[in-house]
Amino acid sequence: MEAFKFIQKKTIIHILDPRTKLLLAIIYSILAIIFEEIFILFFVFLSLFPFILAGQLFKKWIKSIRGMTFLFLLLIIFNTLFSTFSRSISMIIRIMIMVSSFSLFFLTVHPDDLMLSLLSLKVPYNIAFSFSLSFRFVPTIAIEAQNIIDAQKSRGYEMEQGGLISQARNLIPLLIPLIVCSLKRAFHIAESLDSRAFGSTKNRTYYYSIKYAKKDWLLTIILISLFIFGVIVKIFPEFLPTWFYWKLKV
Amino acid sequence: MEKKLEDLQILVNNLTYHYPDGTIALKGVNLNIYSGEIVGIMGKNGAGKSTLIKTFNGLLKPTTGVVYIENDEVNNVLMSKLTKKVGIVFQNPDLQLFANTVEDEIRFSLKNLNFTKIELENQISLTLEKFKLKKFQNRTPFTLSGGEKKRLAIASIMCRNPEIIVFDEPTIGQDAEGVKFIRNLIKEKHSEGKTIIIVTHDIEFAIDNIPRTILMADGLIIADGPTNKILSQDQILNIGYLISPQLIILSKFLIDLKIKVPEDVYIKENMVQFLGSYFKDKMGITEGGKP
Repeated sequence: MEAFKFIQKKTIIHILDPRTKLLLAIIYSILAIIFEEIFILFFVFLSLFPFILAGQLFKKWIKSIRGMTFLFLLLIIFNTLFSTFSRSISMIIRIMIMVSSFSLFFLTVHPDDLMLSLLSLKVPYNIAFSFSLSFRFVPTIAIEAQNIIDAQKSRGYEMEQGGLISQARNLIPLLIPLIVCSLKRAFHIAESLDSRAFGSTKNRTYYYSIKYAKKDWLLTIILISLFIFGVIVKIFPEFLPTWFYWKLKV
Repeated sequence: MEKKLEDLQILVNNLTYHYPDGTIALKGVNLNIYSGEIVGIMGKNGAGKSTLIKTFNGLLKPTTGVVYIENDEVNNVLMSKLTKKVGIVFQNPDLQLFANTVEDEIRFSLKNLNFTKIELENQISLTLEKFKLKKFQNRTPFTLSGGEKKRLAIASIMCRNPEIIVFDEPTIGQDAEGVKFIRNLIKEKHSEGKTIIIVTHDIEFAIDNIPRTILMADGLIIADGPTNKILSQDQILNIGYLISPQLIILSKFLIDLKIKVPEDVYIKENMVQFLGSYFKDKMGITEGGKP
């Protein structure tokens, strides 16, 4: 979850409008889905690097990718068994693109701005608010999970024990208190929101506002052009040199 | 009580602890706790109290310095061995209750203690009896009241019979009955010779039940001594963000009035007795309140 936790910094990426960054994440994800060719995906992936570097997010990004090693391993095993090794590589790059572009968004968008950007996309206020609230509670839940682990370990609970199934069973003493505490907190939040007249008027005002600046427009135009180019390449594959469509033999 | 070296149960030497995010929680703590003592740890939030107690059962490993529990250095001992010796009762019972029934909750705590089946069932039954949980035996822990949940959480540690018992904020959110229960439990465990460590903000509870207090601030121990002495020194109280217990304020007020008060009036019963005899003497008030 660390890879999605907002960090306050003052970089060009951080001061971009959240909607631009959301557009970036969406367009990159679409590109990752529509292409399957290793080289094309690899270039799409490479083109994310300037954003990651400009946002000073390299360390966090490496962490998030490292955290997915297990998933990558599973992808290689299953895809090689049921499809080809080549496909497993393109799947891995595809997932890396999606995770990187969305972590770029969540790492650089303040939870409050996240809500404002959803509202500007005409998402109902209730939904936008709960969405941003759930992100705000990620660190709280992480702390609580640690406290639960401490409490259970203090009564002799041992986490690393036995095979895969018993390890899964071992999670029960951690998951149940976590769910119970989270539900309790959700009810408390709902009560405290009600007691502060949440949703009593339809039209509400906001203390902060977000603005689409020149650099946002510029990046939007670049992103849309990239998207259009991607669609053209998809429809007319002959547009690119043939080596772009190279595949591994296995 | 005379403190002997062989009774030394917890030895903390120059302990520092740095959290992975860079926070320095302990900055060189030195501490001796002897077998059979009741020790309070006080101090404002973030002073390092919780971090300190978590090093006692191996939840946190010292960054530098050493912690000895009896003769074992915590770094060299398996956590499973440490948790048998040191039982920590955490503040919020919701963090640990998960089983289908109250009975299973106790059973979970006894899992790795190598009991035979009969011993296990006996121990469960004894614990339920002792903590007045027998009637809830087959109920889910989630439907218990706050006080009952707390009792169950305490029972789930006590059934392991640890030599050192650590309570983290035992009186928070407890009604008078709950506080009385905890007070009696502490007395009982003390009489069994257990060492008891209590992390608390509750000064009235501390002055009544805890003979020795350690005051922490900013990752260091700033005072260590008899609770009544520590809680009556304004300078120490200011650093520790504490206020004096009511009876200490009252006794200081009486001293200011040039009334000679005995030293032990910080204990409720002693103060009542002293004031009773004082009014009888000075004002001629007899039993029944009439002059």
